[in-house]
Amino acid sequence: MNDLTLLREAGPEAPPFTPAARSAARAALLDEIAGPAPRRSRRPGRRVVLRLGAAVVAAAAAWTGAVLVAAPDGPGAPADSVTLVDFAMPTFPLTPDPVPDGLRPAFDGDGTGASIAAYDDATGAHGFTLYVSEDEPEGIGDEGAPGFDLEASTEVSVDGREADLVRYSREWCTGDQATGCGHRSFTRLQWERADDQWVVVLAHGRYRAPERVLAIAESLVDRPQPAVLDIGLAPAGWSVQAFKMGRVLSLVNDSYEQQTLTVHLPLPEDVVPPDQLLDQLMGPVGPVVPVTVHGRPAQLVLCDAGYLGQRIWYLQAQFEDGTTFTLQVPDAFTQEQVVQFAEQVTHNP
Amino acid sequence: MRALPGAAPTDAELMARSLADPEAFAPLFDRHAATVHRYLGRRVGELADDLVSETFLVAFRRRAAYRPDHVEVRPWLLGIATNLVHGHVRTEQRRYRALAREAARPVGQAADPGDSADRLDAEALRGPLAAALAKLKAHDRDALLLLAWGQLGYEEIAAVLDVPVGTVRSRLHRARRQTRAALGGVLPTDASEEDDR
Repeated sequence: MNDLTLLREAGPEAPPFTPAARSAARAALLDEIAGPAPRRSRRPGRRVVLRLGAAVVAAAAAWTGAVLVAAPDGPGAPADSVTLVDFAMPTFPLTPDPVPDGLRPAFDGDGTGASIAAYDDATGAHGFTLYVSEDEPEGIGDEGAPGFDLEASTEVSVDGREADLVRYSREWCTGDQATGCGHRSFTRLQWERADDQWVVVLAHGRYRAPERVLAIAESLVDRPQPAVLDIGLAPAGWSVQAFKMGRVLSLVNDSYEQQTLTVHLPLPEDVVPPDQLLDQLMGPVGPVVPVTVHGRPAQLVLCDAGYLGQRIWYLQAQFEDGTTFTLQVPDAFTQEQVVQFAEQVTHNP
Repeated sequence: MRALPGAAPTDAELMARSLADPEAFAPLFDRHAATVHRYLGRRVGELADDLVSETFLVAFRRRAAYRPDHVEVRPWLLGIATNLVHGHVRTEQRRYRALAREAARPVGQAADPGDSADRLDAEALRGPLAAALAKLKAHDRDALLLLAWGQLGYEEIAAVLDVPVGTVRSRLHRARRQTRAALGGVLPTDASEEDDR
């Protein structure tokens, strides 16, 4: 008996597909087929977004993925209280040594660790991104992919291991109204750095010269880096759901995935003035409670989360350097715990 | 493939027909709901009742994007189901761990460790197997369970997960290696993975 046979014969069995469940699923489909009549909610929302005010939603546009709640109907119930415990953030496994002057990393990842480290200069015009994965990444192919103008493709060596170095250009949009979209040139280096550790260096601007990309690759050392946005505490039984670009961090209650919290660094232009907070937030159900975080005035508001009857605390506070951050945490936190949690949020830009 | 005159329309024909006549989609539920539910049920237990419904709703909404030359309808549906499981990874892991704990309770005579692998009672491996599934990375588990429970081939898995076949191979290799390791080497390791395609 091999493992596949074992999986089929001794793996977990499915519960029966009851006539009632089958009928309900079929009815839901027929309802959908029937047309675009006002859609009824057949189940408690599976994907819902915290419905904060327009300005806050705009600020959150770049990180919507992090606050989407994949709500299962599985076992468990929302916590009505939490115990804060020491918490260590996942890390990115590699570090360029030395780090090129003027570049600071921003990480993306999930509970298992960061998989992307983007090193860009202040303008965003020069830098490189490191990707780490267990699986061999899909390259752009020998002849390039649609939208990619392949310039050169060569085989090189990184620390004695075979590597593919590709130079190409492609349409690139910065999102900046002033610069808009244009063609940007990249150099991409991919190799299996260790067993089940594939690394890609994708460089642009001043860093895209092949010799510079190779130098970056060979400078990588096994030195884990903490995320830019860090927390020192977390509710017991919660874990990291995702973190993105050093601006968003979300945690999830492992026993009830509808219950999440997020830490967010809004862009400066998206920071809501404290005196406008109640107007900008959607669903405030209490007044602005003045508190102190990191020695600075902060604002705490209880809001209706807009789904599953949950309420959240919305906190807007600042780090000691004046950078604003916000928290959205369930009302299972006490006011004191929100502040205690916020005091342990750190930012290492 | 085109159906013979008088024969029931094929899945692909129903899909194509449903673009103009949405009701033509309904028979696909009747044909495949049980298969999709069983696949989901083995992964997420009772939550399958909801996810099978979600699977067909998503499939109906995305039917215009279905490409019959790319993958058949049954694998396509299992791919959608797999993506829906991603929103419930913790539920899935909890289920496996609970099954592992349950299986660990002594309920009679244990298997003789001196038995050959082929004669080992599969019942005795239920717990370790569930525990092993809980520990796999989600993407690796997807590939393994689409192969084992969904009966998909490598190409089909690649198509529904939208990854290269090489990635499927590496995920399966890793998943099967880790599963065998977790089972303590009681399985033959010389079985060709290619034979299971």
